Order: sequence, then C-alpha cells, then structure tokens
Amino acid sequence: MVTLPKIAVTLGKLELAYPTLMGSGCYGSGEEYAPFADLGRIGAIVLKSVTRLPRLGNATPRLVHTPAGMLNAIGLQNPGIDWYLARELHKYAGRPCKIVGSVAGFSVDDYSYLCERLAARDEIAAVELNVSCPNVASEGETFGCDPALTSKVVRAARATTDKTLIVKLSPNVTDIVTVAREAEAAGADALAVINTVRGMAIDVETWRPRLGNITGGLSGPAIRPIAVLAVYEIAQAVGIPIIGQGGIENLTDALEFFLAGASAISIGTANFTDPRIPERISAELQDYLARRDLASLDEIVGKANFALSTADQYEGDEG
Amino acid sequence: MATANLHARVHATTVIGRRVLAPGVIVTTLEAPELARATRPGQYLMAIPPAASSAATALAIYEAEGKLASILFFITGRRTRELSELREGDRLDVLGPLGNGFDCSGGARDVAIVAGGVGIASVLLCARTLLGGGARVRLFYGARTRELLVDAQRFADAGCELIVTTDDGTLGRRGYVTDALAGAPAPETIYACGPSPMLRSVARVAAERGVRAQLSLEETFGCGVGGCWGCVVPISARSAQAPSFPPPELGGSDVLYARICKEGPVFWADELRW
Ligand SMILES: Cc1cc2nc3c(=O)[nH]c(=O)nc-3n(C[C@H](O)[C@H](O)[C@H](O)COP(=O)(O)O)c2cc1C
Ligand code: FES
Repeated sequence: MVTLPKIAVTLGKLELAYPTLMGSGCYGSGEEYAPFADLGRIGAIVLKSVTRLPRLGNATPRLVHTPAGMLNAIGLQNPGIDWYLARELHKYAGRPCKIVGSVAGFSVDDYSYLCERLAARDEIAAVELNVSCPNVASEGETFGCDPALTSKVVRAARATTDKTLIVKLSPNVTDIVTVAREAEAAGADALAVINTVRGMAIDVETWRPRLGNITGGLSGPAIRPIAVLAVYEIAQAVGIPIIGQGGIENLTDALEFFLAGASAISIGTANFTDPRIPERISAELQDYLARRDLASLDEIVGKANFALSTADQYEGDEG
Repeated sequence: MATANLHARVHATTVIGRRVLAPGVIVTTLEAPELARATRPGQYLMAIPPAASSAATALAIYEAEGKLASILFFITGRRTRELSELREGDRLDVLGPLGNGFDCSGGARDVAIVAGGVGIASVLLCARTLLGGGARVRLFYGARTRELLVDAQRFADAGCELIVTTDDGTLGRRGYVTDALAGAPAPETIYACGPSPMLRSVARVAAERGVRAQLSLEETFGCGVGGCWGCVVPISARSAQAPSFPPPELGGSDVLYARICKEGPVFWADELRW
C-alpha cells in the first residue's frame, strides 16, 4: 500500500487534518457552505469576528468587485459576545472540521475579555485575534499597526487561555516584521498573514465613493504578491507557524505560500468563486508531494526562503 | 417564505441551448434535472466562472421544467460576457437553487406582477404558479425601449394580461411602469422585480393602495450563500427574515441588516426600512 504524503498540520496545539483554514468573515459559520463543500475535507473554519457589544454593521454598499479582487467594508456585523455564546455557538458543535473563534476589540481589555469567554467554550479549538481594529483609547490608531499595542493585546489575551492563540496581522503597516516579532514575544502560537489591504473605489458618474463606509479592505488575487512577501519576510524573523493568506485560489497559489514559509493556508474570497476550491487544493497538494516523493508538507515549508540581501548589499527593489 | 438553501447543492450542468432575445440579452438553457426539480419561483443560482478567477455570478432562474433550467441575463460586464459565450455542449457548474423566493401560496385571485428590465427573469415561474392556481395575473412590464421588452409574448401565451411601458414610448405607454400600476385598479397583492428605484415606487404604490407587495432585491454579492454579510438591506427587527440579534433593550435595534442572498432575495415591502 502506498502511504499518501502527510498534509495534516499542527499549529500550536491546534491539530488540523488538512492545512486549510477558511478565512474569517468569508465562510459564515460553515452552515452556509455545508451544501456545497465537504467540511470534512477542510482543516478549520475561522468564524466571523465577534465583538463585546452587538454591531449593526456598515451602511451599504458593503462590497465592490475590483480587478482581481474585491473591496469589503462589512463593519463587523455581529450580535455581540453574549448573544453569540448563548444563541449561536452551539450550532457549530459537531462540525467535521475544527472551529477557530475570532475576536475584535476596541480596547486591550476587550481582547482579553472576549478571548477568555470564547476560549472557555468546547466548540472553540483556538482563538484568532483580529487586531485590524481602531483603539478607542488612542485616537483610533489600529492595534495591529503599532508593535507596542499589538504586544499589549496579545499578552492580555495570552493570559486568559492555554488554547492556541493566532494573531492576524494587518499589512497596512510600514514594517510588518516588527509587529510579527512582538506578537511572538507576547505569546502568540501562530500568525495569520495577511488581513485585507486598505483601499477604496469611486463611482465616476455619481462622484461618490462606491462603499457605504468610503474605505474598505482589498482581498483576492490582487493582494497575493503583497501577502507572499509578508510571509517570506516574517518566516525568517519568527519561530512560530504562519498561516498564509491573501488571494489563494489554486494549488500554485498555495504552494507559493508554503514555499515562502507558511505552514498552513487560509482561503477567503476564493470560496466566492467556487466553494470546492479548498478541498481541491488539499487533494492536489497531496498529489504534488507524492509526485516528488515527499513524505510530508513540512518538507516544502520555507524552501524558497534563502536570506534576503543584507542591509549593506540592499539596493532597493527593482523599478 | 421557506427555509433558504434547503435543497441547494453544486450541479454540473450542460448547456443545451442559447437564444439571443435582443442585443446583449441572452437566455441560456441548462440540462440540470435536480436543479429544475428543486427550484421554486423567485430563486436564483450562482454560476461558477468557467475560468475561475472572479466571484461567481448570481442569476435568476428563469424557467425550470422537466430536466431543464434556464437563465435570462443582460450582458453588463466581463462575467456576464463570459457566460454569454457558452454554447451547446459546454459545461457550467452552478450552486442552487438559492434564497427565499416568492410566496405564491396566499390564495389571491387578482395579482399584479411588476417587472423592470432584467427583473423579468425572476417572475416567469411566479406568473406560471399563480396562473396555475387560477389567479388573474396582470403583468406590468417596463423597459428602456421596445426591443428590450424581451419575451413579453411568452407571458401573454402563459395567460398573463400585459401592460407594457417603455422609457422612450416605442411600445406601450411612455414612462414608468409603476405609474401604470398606480393608475390601474388595485390588485389583491403585488410581486415585483427590477431596479431599486422601481421597487421603491412599487413599495410606495402598494402602501398607498393598502396592498402587500413582495419585492425581489438585487445587490452586489460576494459569496451568494450567506457567508459574508456583504449583500444586506435594512429590515424591521420584527420581520421573520431579520437576523438573530439581541432585542433593543439588550443593545439591539429596531432595524437590522438582513442578507439579500440568504434571507431574501424576496422581502415584504412593508418590512423593509431602506
Ligand atoms: C467579505 C469579507 C469579510 C471579512 N471579514 C473578516 C473578519 O470579520 N475578520 C477578519 O479577521 N478578517 C476578515 N476578512 C479577511 C479574510 O479573512 C482574509 O484574511 C482576507 O480576505 C485575505 O484572504 P483572501 O484573499 O483569501 O480573501 C474578511 C474578508 C472578506 C472578503
Ligand atoms: S453575498 Fe455573502 S452573505 Fe450575501
């Protein structure tokens, strides 16, 4: 009997049968996709981010399709943690894949409070911190854009749970590597790299922004090179596993991330194209490894990762 | 309105026919027996792009009979152009049938259907169901110009009384289809699909007449299956279609955003807060 290459991965304490996580905010609770995808052939669903208080969400329109991607400004619509725990979360029990909770806060205390309450539930295998939110205490600066603030948030959340803690990094920073290092030092078990890239679109007939919220987050293939570089650089700076994401639609895209240093991948917007993409990527990944006589996915992680030029050699990027 | 997506799944279909109804207006017929059997009036499908590199496209299911289901669409961009190029024998994977369609079970004997432009695609099954139940069905059908009043004869053949309007007066009355509706004897109930200004007018006329209306809404979709909350419309928190949310005294609100793709696309006009 031929043994298939191993594509199961472990992130902190989170054991996944497949190296695919469904991106937060893109996959509902999983129930929405159950008619179209085999949830037994994906690693985990990352739930939509939940906040302390209920949020109605942003005005419409909330989505704009753009070349090779889309802009979204959903505004974290959710019923708040109390309602969520009392009325929603039990529905996620019994899924054939792991469930990762996602929390979003507007103060350091929000993150520790939400993380503690969510992680206490059996349905939740791990918690992801969505730090792409404004800090109300410091004039709305985004947590994930400040290494010191990120550190505080991660430390506070870390103190509340032993479950796997994933920190999802924002690309809207000057130096994502520094933020990644702080998150690791503060106790993160894994990093999700990257969240959406800020952007906007304008309707030239009405002279108005095309999103109700004016600005939004860009996702899809348009951001993939940005994400691959972030994974590549961060992989050289930290020792914890990376969940690569941003525009992954097929095996080739996924391989780029693994080779750049990601141990697992997350798929968001591509589910809007075809919900079978995640299971297809896993199947094709196994074939790819088998064709190369590789026993395990581990054998390709970071293999493209030779050292970037050192500072005295660095002459800037082309162009 | 029934539980959405109960009978939805992925269907591998084959194109078996294509009709050009007017420049840029296409009907593509698919061999899709299970989809056809499961489809209820006002439901839609998501067409998975043949060259997977953009989101799937939401399309009303125009007809569903026997082994066949069809889609009627206007070419408005790259994705619909790609779909328009499908020919007999080509494959098309779709998700469906999706959403909560029209509730045709009210038992009304005298109904009005209002369709604007491509909105006609959502109402044929509805018209047939109502006619089959013995109702009198008046179709108020508006388009920009004569040649875009596509497939009107099909509705007439099915037994609808047609009242048509065009923006330029090339066929029927010149002006808005909702003006024709407002000027006609009131029906017992209204079904409508079309551009959002038209639907707002339908809602207003319905309220003035004291008649309930079901509106099929359109919005930019992301997932099309309820996973992303990108396609919402404000609705009364007391509506059966409102999302699960704390009541106002626990930090909720009287108005909530419901997903057009999942709770809709059909909503009661008097429950919308748009
Ligand atoms: C409609 C939409 C909603 C999203 N909502 C969230 C969210 O609530 N929390 C979060 O951490 N990320 C959210 N994201 C970001 C995705 O999880 C993912 O990180 C990002 O879109 C990049 O991956 P992709 O190109 O595969 O979609 C959202 C993305 C989209 C497109
Ligand atoms: S399009 Fe995603 S929830 Fe409706």
